[in-house]
Amino acid sequence: MRSYLYIKGKALWRVCACLLLGIVLACCGEIITGVDQPATATVGSTIDITVHIDIPTVGNGGPDNLILGILVPKGWKAAQNTTINYTSPLGSGTMTLVPDASLPKNGNGLTWSAYMKKTFGIGGNLIDDMEWVAYQTDKAYSHNGSEIKGDLQIKMKVGADGNNTRVKLGYVITDTGNGFVSDSNGTYYSEVITPCFELTGASGDIIDFCNPQLTVIDPPKSLDNDFITLTFDGTIVATPVSGETELYLCATAYTSDGKTISVCEQTAKTLMKQTTATSKKYQITFWPRSFFGLQDSQTIIRMEYFVTNKTNTAKVGYGNTLAPFVYTFKCS
Amino acid sequence: METNYKIRHLSLLLIMAVVLLASACKTEKVLPQKEALKDISGNWQVIKATRNGTDLTAIVDFSQFRLNFTNGNYTLQNKLPFLVDQNGSFSLDDPQYPYKITFIATGKQPVSTAFTYPIVNGKRQLSLTFSPGCANNSYIYVLQQVN
Repeated sequence: MRSYLYIKGKALWRVCACLLLGIVLACCGEIITGVDQPATATVGSTIDITVHIDIPTVGNGGPDNLILGILVPKGWKAAQNTTINYTSPLGSGTMTLVPDASLPKNGNGLTWSAYMKKTFGIGGNLIDDMEWVAYQTDKAYSHNGSEIKGDLQIKMKVGADGNNTRVKLGYVITDTGNGFVSDSNGTYYSEVITPCFELTGASGDIIDFCNPQLTVIDPPKSLDNDFITLTFDGTIVATPVSGETELYLCATAYTSDGKTISVCEQTAKTLMKQTTATSKKYQITFWPRSFFGLQDSQTIIRMEYFVTNKTNTAKVGYGNTLAPFVYTFKCS
Repeated sequence: METNYKIRHLSLLLIMAVVLLASACKTEKVLPQKEALKDISGNWQVIKATRNGTDLTAIVDFSQFRLNFTNGNYTLQNKLPFLVDQNGSFSLDDPQYPYKITFIATGKQPVSTAFTYPIVNGKRQLSLTFSPGCANNSYIYVLQQVN
């Protein structure tokens, strides 16, 4: 009996040892172990970000270059406003933009930037006006069983578009030989989305990628000669118009020649249709030039608006107050 | 005499051969198939519209908008965001194989855009890509002739 138990125990230990060995062996590929990044900054300033990485290589592969993707608002023009250096046991160097012509091995013909957007989306941000900017190291490394621990030091000028912003920045690493794939050797990539980062100090409205907004305008950047789609989200918080079946837009345009034009009627023109019967999301798409009846020489600089009920007795403004929502017409 | 006759015979054969070969070498002329000139004259309406890939056809009333091409001029009716906002003249870069259309609104700078001109379900369509507002916002209008 004792002998039987002893053998059984040995088998268990063997299984455990094999499993552990398997886990250790499988644990290869690029890992982001941490990101040091300030929580706030001033619009137009340059911030320092450090991405700590660990690459426990196995097998006999490469040499591959390390790829880093940074998720940022498009308006920051990060590709023109960022420099990256790295330090590692294999030496130091720089990271430069991956040319569009050098396509990822497993990206089905997409560029690195598009491959990142397709794989990781916009990292939980709520406005799709973001891009992944892809960088690669100037030197390559081999997958030969050694572990490479290093730091990627990013210097980025933030807020090139001059907007106060709240955004979740993201980072992803992989290597040119693999991309966003896993195999028996492990997973060859690692993604980190950081908590909401805030840019302050500019005048004008804030672009909030992090928090759900009562109203959202698509495209995020537009002029009065675009079609704009305004969506009111009634699911976020109870408002004075909760429970209403028909909502209307009540808006005032401020023009380049100093005029104000108000459209605050409750008709088909201003009706915000519910996207589906129970969505509680109400939407209107319009051409501002025509909506406000502009003359050819006029342009709209900004628009203030409320969402009202059918009788215009209840209305919702910015942050569920009686102050209007503000939208500035601009392209950057 | 015998030899002379042989030489004459041979030279005759030679001439015949040359004539035959020369005529055999005559290149056959392939008549070029003339591509029809693309005529976009008429009244056009929007049957599909997208903004940055989002379909706007069902959520914006495009039914009243008309684009009319006549004798090198165009007119807009019930205007919508478009390449131009005033009437004027237009031209195609190549009447046989056009791939670019230029609108010149009266008194304004010419505006050009790439366009395609496919036949879908037996009907000509005009597909125009442009940015009337911010350059990053791209619209595609697919137009079809109004009967």
